[in-house]
Amino acid sequence: MADQLLHIEDLHVTVEGREILKGVDLTVDKGQIHAIMGPNGSGKSTLAYVLTGRPGYEVTGGKVIYRGTDILRLAPDERAKEGIFLAFQYPTEVPGVSVVNFLRTAYNAVHPENQKSAMQFRMYLQEKIDLLEIPSELVDRYVNQGFSGGEKKRNEILQMAVLQPELAIMDETDSGLDIDALKHVSAGVNKLATDEVGIVLITHYQRLLNYIRPTEVHVLIAGKVAKSGGFELAEQLEAEGYAGIAKELGLSEEELAEVEGSEVSV
Amino acid sequence: MTQTLTSDAVETLSADLGEPGWLAERRLQAFDLFEKLELPDPKGEEWRYTDVRRFDFSGFDAPVPTQSAPEVTADLADKGVIIADYQTAANDHPDLLKEHFFTDVPTDEHKFTALHGAFLSDGIIVYVPGGIEIAVPYEVFRDLAGGGSTFPHTTIVVGDNAKVTFVDRFRSESHERPSLCASVVEVTAGRGATVNYISLQEWGRNVHHFQTQRFTGHRDSTVRSLAVQLGSKFARAQVESVLTGEGSFSEMLGLYFADSDQHFAQRTLQSHAVPNTTSDLLYKGALKEVSRSEYSGLIKVAKGAQGTDAYQANRNIVLSEKAVARSIPQLEIEANEVRCTHGATVSPVEEEHIFYLMSRGIDRVTAQKLVVFGFFGDVLDRIRVPELREELARAIAKKVEGGQSLEVAS
Repeated sequence: MADQLLHIEDLHVTVEGREILKGVDLTVDKGQIHAIMGPNGSGKSTLAYVLTGRPGYEVTGGKVIYRGTDILRLAPDERAKEGIFLAFQYPTEVPGVSVVNFLRTAYNAVHPENQKSAMQFRMYLQEKIDLLEIPSELVDRYVNQGFSGGEKKRNEILQMAVLQPELAIMDETDSGLDIDALKHVSAGVNKLATDEVGIVLITHYQRLLNYIRPTEVHVLIAGKVAKSGGFELAEQLEAEGYAGIAKELGLSEEELAEVEGSEVSV
Repeated sequence: MTQTLTSDAVETLSADLGEPGWLAERRLQAFDLFEKLELPDPKGEEWRYTDVRRFDFSGFDAPVPTQSAPEVTADLADKGVIIADYQTAANDHPDLLKEHFFTDVPTDEHKFTALHGAFLSDGIIVYVPGGIEIAVPYEVFRDLAGGGSTFPHTTIVVGDNAKVTFVDRFRSESHERPSLCASVVEVTAGRGATVNYISLQEWGRNVHHFQTQRFTGHRDSTVRSLAVQLGSKFARAQVESVLTGEGSFSEMLGLYFADSDQHFAQRTLQSHAVPNTTSDLLYKGALKEVSRSEYSGLIKVAKGAQGTDAYQANRNIVLSEKAVARSIPQLEIEANEVRCTHGATVSPVEEEHIFYLMSRGIDRVTAQKLVVFGFFGDVLDRIRVPELREELARAIAKKVEGGQSLEVAS
């Protein structure tokens, strides 16, 4: 399929000897926005990290095909060069490295055919800053150091705008944001969600989906996609919670316990 | 025939230099001391973790007399500025030399200063009279042959309200035979004077480097030092600021990056002898592969030195599991109205940071470079010679790239 970006088949992933993903299937086409919802511990972040190549995540089965190639052997930077981007749930602070310097290095690595000088990059960056309505001073500060939760997430969206990925995975981009920051970040994502981009939104709560409307919704429970559907599935989740879905699907007691256990910790 | 480090060699050196009798005499006295003194004991605070008790002096060739003093413009010479090697100063400015010869760092301090006193081979004296401000930095290159030894001495005397910047470079090729450098630096800043002294240790790999730097700051003076360690096999730098005049200020910066089996040791002293003086120390180091570093720093506040403000920080970033950085801050405070702050950290390069940068398309080596640059950023920002800042940034990048354990940069 010409528009297929990502195809995950029966993906099994183990972290520190414990199987977290137990056979995930997912296909994302260009222009689609997939919401992956699930309780804590269901494997949502694991999916995000395994797609971007974080060390420590062992794939024990299945495959991940991105634009027709198996990417599991690629290092994280090679995947980024292929057009995969992860907006981190907890963006890392990098002391002493300014956002602008970091982003120019990244941009030139990802777009070697279109290298930009410091001056050219500054102008390009300013366009993105204006587009996303982000305070310019942010980019002269050290990466995420002393940033508020909202600033960190805005900085992630700015990075996405600069690097222009084809597949963007957003890991709990809504977590820790107040309603104004959530609206602002969502508006940014919507501006970047063109027909050429596939987006995977990972979220625990339905509220993000009021601002970024998904085309598909998947519920991940105990390491598997338990149910897929349209926006109505997100609404059902909002009404019944994860336990309701689990019951409906007749999940095993063990799996239910996992869900309920995680509900307590929410 | 080449001589080793013997008393005969001391006499040969002095004769070759055509030195006056008092200098020859001082050399032989220092050699006597060298023979009597034991090697420093790692049990003492100053040499802690740096065990040189089995250091063997026998294999090194005696030094070759060297003259590396930079030129002084006619204009500055007319104003009384003197920059001369010791041979020239002994003949042309004997009183100046006598007055400042080993006054701050006595030869009997330890075995290496004694040997230095005996074989001083590359001495430079800088004298800037009161009120003269020299904007352009002076730069000196010290060299060292394989199997050889060198004993560079830098004396800087800056008069009241005068200003000078001096860059001392210790640079050589890497040779198979081990070499030795024992260097002494004595800097005196007059009232209201400003001295910037930068030492860049970039020796080739098989060098053993021992250096003692001592700065004396008179009333309202500013003394800034930067000690850089990049080369050699083993390097020990002892950097001491002694603030003897009220209102004086000392900035002490250190930057070191050890790789392979390099071993760097640094000992600093911030001595506040009188009231209302300020010192601000920041030593930062990176280590990779199986290298080692030690930092031990003492803040000493004399009785009655009220209003002292002293700050000391030593930060280390470790790029390999086998590299070891040690940091030992010490305080010795005998006054009660003082502000003294000190801190030491040794941290690995966070794999989280590397993954975050790599997830943006940056390869591992470049990611490490960014993290290490970021780490050194505050020291680099404080270097007042812009060309040097860029040069050190390049040297740091090369160090990150250089190791066998890393992937090749794309």
